[in-house]
Amino acid sequence: MTTTWHADHDLLQAYVGGELDDAQAYSVEAHVLACDQCRRAMAPEVARDRLEGIWQETLDVLDRPRARPLERLLVRFRVKRSTARLLSATPSLQASWLTAVVVAVGFGALASHRSDSGLAFFLVLAPLVPVIGVAAAYGPGIDPAHELTVAAPISGFRMLLLRSVAVLAASVAVTGMASLGLAVVDWTAAAWVLPALALTGATLALSLVMSPERAGTCITVAWLAVVLIGWSATGDDLGAFRAGGQVTCAVVAAATAAVLARRHELFEVRSQQ
Amino acid sequence: MNPMVETTGIEKRYGRTVALQDVTLAMTEGVTGILGPNGAGKTTFLRILATVMAPDNGGLRLLGMDPSTPEHRVDIRRRLGYFPQEPGLYPSFTGFEFVDYVAILKEMVDRRTRHDEVRRVLGLVGLTEVAGKKIKTLSGGMKRRVVLAQALLGDPDLLVLDEPTSGLDPEQRLRFRELLSDVSGHAAVVLSTHQTEDVAAVCNRVVVIHHGAVHFDGSTQALAELARGRVWLADGRAAGAVLSWRTADQRHRNIGDAPAGAELVEPTIDDGYLLLVGETGMKEAA
Repeated sequence: MTTTWHADHDLLQAYVGGELDDAQAYSVEAHVLACDQCRRAMAPEVARDRLEGIWQETLDVLDRPRARPLERLLVRFRVKRSTARLLSATPSLQASWLTAVVVAVGFGALASHRSDSGLAFFLVLAPLVPVIGVAAAYGPGIDPAHELTVAAPISGFRMLLLRSVAVLAASVAVTGMASLGLAVVDWTAAAWVLPALALTGATLALSLVMSPERAGTCITVAWLAVVLIGWSATGDDLGAFRAGGQVTCAVVAAATAAVLARRHELFEVRSQQ
Repeated sequence: MNPMVETTGIEKRYGRTVALQDVTLAMTEGVTGILGPNGAGKTTFLRILATVMAPDNGGLRLLGMDPSTPEHRVDIRRRLGYFPQEPGLYPSFTGFEFVDYVAILKEMVDRRTRHDEVRRVLGLVGLTEVAGKKIKTLSGGMKRRVVLAQALLGDPDLLVLDEPTSGLDPEQRLRFRELLSDVSGHAAVVLSTHQTEDVAAVCNRVVVIHHGAVHFDGSTQALAELARGRVWLADGRAAGAVLSWRTADQRHRNIGDAPAGAELVEPTIDDGYLLLVGETGMKEAA
């Protein structure tokens, strides 16, 4: 291509300095790509560190490994890339774990079609899904790289919260899908949500003084005891999920959130012992 | 020169078991080797230095700061590299992803700078070519080098390494020693190892911990000197020997009170160490 017009020195300097508006910049860019003389004139004007930066950015894009599937999914939900990488190591967000959850709540939903107690079985089981997930999200013996996490400047409590929120979201999503398959289509299909929040909050609060693993076990046992005792005392298998139970769960969820906000420093103290 | 690591009478117990008692040490730049039999308290000591666990009693200052204060603890961890005794990895991650993961834990926020640093440390440990391979496909030695790479992130001022050379082949160990020599110019490196030749090659100083207490603190030469005049060769196990073992030429190397006219030999670090820790150390070396 024959070019008769050339960009003058001032125009090239303005382009290099990023002072042109988009239309002018694109125009200069198109011309420079085609014009050897202007490319040569522009080269000395470009700051070396900027060129280096662009080159490194290019290298990084080419060299960077492709994000893992879970990371890509989280990024789609607008989670920061670095946070997505931290979450992708969560033991209770791995495919094998999620598969187990899908199978468990799927069977629970199917059970609601088979017997009168099937719905109660699902409702008792569903809030325990995030509890067990949180218990298996963070801690020695659970996370292979736990020791490295503890020795890093990132707050251990923040890691636990991050992973717990992700586990809770995944659990609610999976259990919510399963609840669409329940034999009932009224309020009871969602009666597990507040208990799930309350039990997860209680597990986190208890993690301030014991390992999340042990906290999850304690809360699971306590939940089963409360529900079964209530059932045998009243003869109502859905008793724990009616208005009184829901209000209690809401209060427990709020109380545990307050405890976590005020006393989270206990987590670091415990993990140092 | 202000010490970068300072412990004053620290103690740690697990129930009734005393893991550390009255450990008082001060360390500056350079490599300090920690030797001791299994269960001597080395790992407990290193975990305390890595801020993973707090001592029950005693004073501890790391990089001039008090790790019992939350703000100081975070500052220390920003300048700390740690290689745990039993490092866990995520098998489905690649080497790059794992080191990048730890870099995020170390608050390296800017992605490009972080990735540059990840490539740098993977290069330092010679893993550039396999950085994209899943960890579960790497050999044991390569996995340990991935862990070493994460410990080097951010060029730490305090490097705590708990048996980093086990599982490395001789060439890798040589490379590791070179790496430590480079790092130790500006950093305090605390290295626990069973390889006395590692200690001889890279450590300016050696500390022997036995039954939770410091039994020796000095130069590697001084540790060998402990056995001077107390190591001799004989055709069989000698009567006065505390320890005795058969060497490659079928003679016995004896340590203890040498009898008159014994064929004394130049003591090594091994001899000094074994003399110090006795039979427990002998079992360890076997």
